[in-house]
This record gives sequence, structure tokens and C-alpha cells, in this order.
Amino acid sequence: MAVMRMGYMHVRVTDLAEAKDHYANTVGLYQTLEQDGRVYYKGWDEWDHHSVVIEEGGVGYVKCGFKCEKPEDVSDIETKAIAYGYPVVRMVAGENPEVGDGIRVTLPTGHQIEFYSQMTAWGLEVGTHNPDAFPRHMVGIGAPRLDHALLWVDDVAGIEKFFMDCVGMWATERVQTSLDDDAHTIATWLTIGESNHDIALLEAPENKIHHFAFEMRGWNDILHAADIFSMDDVPIDIGPTRHGITRGTTIYFFDPAGNRNETFSGGYRCFRDRPTVVWTPDQLGKAIFYHSRELNDRFLTVAT
Amino acid sequence: MPKLTVEPGDVTVDLLDDETILEGLYRNGFAYRIGCRRGGCAICKVDLLQGEVIYNRPVADNVLTESEQTEGTCLTCRAVAVTDVRIALREDNLRRVSSLMSLYAATRTG
Repeated sequence: MAVMRMGYMHVRVTDLAEAKDHYANTVGLYQTLEQDGRVYYKGWDEWDHHSVVIEEGGVGYVKCGFKCEKPEDVSDIETKAIAYGYPVVRMVAGENPEVGDGIRVTLPTGHQIEFYSQMTAWGLEVGTHNPDAFPRHMVGIGAPRLDHALLWVDDVAGIEKFFMDCVGMWATERVQTSLDDDAHTIATWLTIGESNHDIALLEAPENKIHHFAFEMRGWNDILHAADIFSMDDVPIDIGPTRHGITRGTTIYFFDPAGNRNETFSGGYRCFRDRPTVVWTPDQLGKAIFYHSRELNDRFLTVAT
Repeated sequence: MPKLTVEPGDVTVDLLDDETILEGLYRNGFAYRIGCRRGGCAICKVDLLQGEVIYNRPVADNVLTESEQTEGTCLTCRAVAVTDVRIALREDNLRRVSSLMSLYAATRTG
């Protein structure tokens, strides 16, 4: 298996001080570096140097990175991405602080995706020697780790094919125009391991980021997170609720710049021979919000 | 205390000093199409027909451009009225979600 997981998400924020307060004190991430107007964070259950980067100025997606197991895996993706026709450049160690050599692929949508195999080790907050179950003095919602992202793209099928053919992902679920083989794909959930998705793609008129998500330790922590959001006056898009797609439990909320974040928990284990689940547009309300079964006027129209 | 008038419907509410247009409308028991409430998604833009607003927090250039501001686009989650203002919603209507909140909007505990 080449890629192991989404390693980092890098977004812009309009006000760095407010965003730092959000990601450190509300989301509960640990700051590992501040340099050149960028702040780097990791969750308590992550061991690499960072998983979230915020940069002052504007709002929205800068890039994300996927961590591969070995340098050869990065080379393999490089070869395949070039053959697929997407622009690829090499990045050298240190170009992203604490990240090793890698490649940067630019999707036709303009989204930049990086692949690398080395990042400076920082260590779990609970350590690895006779560890406790969680840090004793967790802050805010205490998000353990970055989980996935959903990108807005204008060509779901084309970019899905890139992630499948060049990166080795497969689709756990799709929204498509019909149950026929030649149906048009409206959205797709792509995984590399056994989680429901590492990246998802949704058809949209603009190429943006819809959200990036943190994995929580269960429904109790999702409910607790919602309580913290009320205390910290964090705008909630929707939740706590469940998705029909992935069966995951969720809250969508916004950071102080308006980037959508998610707390996600649950879902089912995905093996590569599992059949892909298909949803049709008439059931989109239930697919996305399993309890209310209808979309709000933000969810599919708002992105950064 | 600036007065805010909203079209369509010609609804008028009082805004508090330093309160955004969005906050003022929701405090008065109204709702309309909004998104992130934090100046990032641009969905709560309206036309500013009369009056003057300021932005006392940073707003991203790609969310509200200078020319949009000049031409009277107003980002309601970040715009604070400094005079009486009149706005027009874009392909949207103001919905009254609580007549009690409208009735008692002047009663506040801070």
C-alpha cells in the first residue's frame, strides 16, 4: 500500500490570532511551530510534526499532503501521475518545514496535492511507553487526529480516476445520477486503508474546499464537542447527527475565517473487496443528514 | 442606534452599535440565507441601497472585492452599520422565525 493517510491540510485564515485560538483552544490541537506567518499543529494522537497548517491572509484551501510508507511509493505515484497527464513537480526536504522530499501534483481544478514519505517525528501526547488512554489535560474538544477532506471539483469522475489509478484508492460510496453502469458521478468517497474515506469529491461550479475533518473517539465525544462549540460561540452548520453516507456521526462547524471543519466518528471498516455503496440524488437529504433527511441551505452551497 | 430596513418586505429593525447586520436581524427574530457567519463563504451578501457600513474585522479580498464594495455589495455577517441603512436581499426573503423575539428585541440583559 503506497499512501497511508492524509497527512496534512493547509488552509488560509483571515485573522491568525482568532484562528490560533480556534485550532488550539477549541479544537484542542497542539502547536508545534510558528514561522513565516504560518502555524503548525498536530492532534494528541498523531506522532508526526504536524497535520494542520494555517496561514494568514484570505480564506480557503492552500494544499494537502498524503503520507506514503516509503520513498519508492512517492516515485511510483510520480510516474503514474505524469503518465496520467497531471503536472507534477518535485519538492525538496524543508520546503515544507519538517517534511522530507516529495512531489506536488496539481489537479486540473488547481488543487495542489503533495505526496511525501518522511516527516519529523514528534510523538504521541500520551507517549508510547505504558500510555494512558488520553492526555490528562485535554483542551477544548481534544481532537485526536486529522481524518479526511472533501473537495469541490468540477470533474468528479476524472479526479476520482486519478486517485484510483495513480494513488491506489477505491470508492466506498458514490452519489450518481442512476444505478446504471454509465451513470454520471456526482460525488465520491475514496479510501486508501480501512477507513470510510481519506478524501471525498463533490461536483460543484467552483474548485474549493468544502471541509476538512477530525476523527473523534465516538458519539459521546461528538456531543461533548457540540457543547464546547456553544461555549466558544463556534458557528455550527449542522449536527450533532449521523450521515447516511459512511454511517459516521458528525458535526460541521466553521473556523473564524469561515473554513468548514468537521468532527467525524464511526463509519464501518472498509476492505478493498467491499462493494461500493450507491446513492441517488432523490435520496440526497437522507444520504447526507440521516436524521433530518433534508439539506439545509448552506451545506451544498457554501465552501471556501 | 442605526435603523436597518430590509427589502423585500420593507422590514425595519434597530441595530445595536457594533452589531453586524446579521446579528441584528437574528436578534430581532428573523432569518435569511446565511452560511459560515465568519466572513468566509460570501453567501450572505446583499445589496446596500442606502447608508454606510464598515468592516471592523478583516474580510478576505476574494470574498468581498473592493469593486464589489464600491458597487454596493455588503457582506452582512461582517458589516456594521454606521448610519441608517437599507439593504435588498438577493433571490431571498426575510423569514420571521420568532414574533416573540421581534416583540421583545429591545429587552436585553447584555
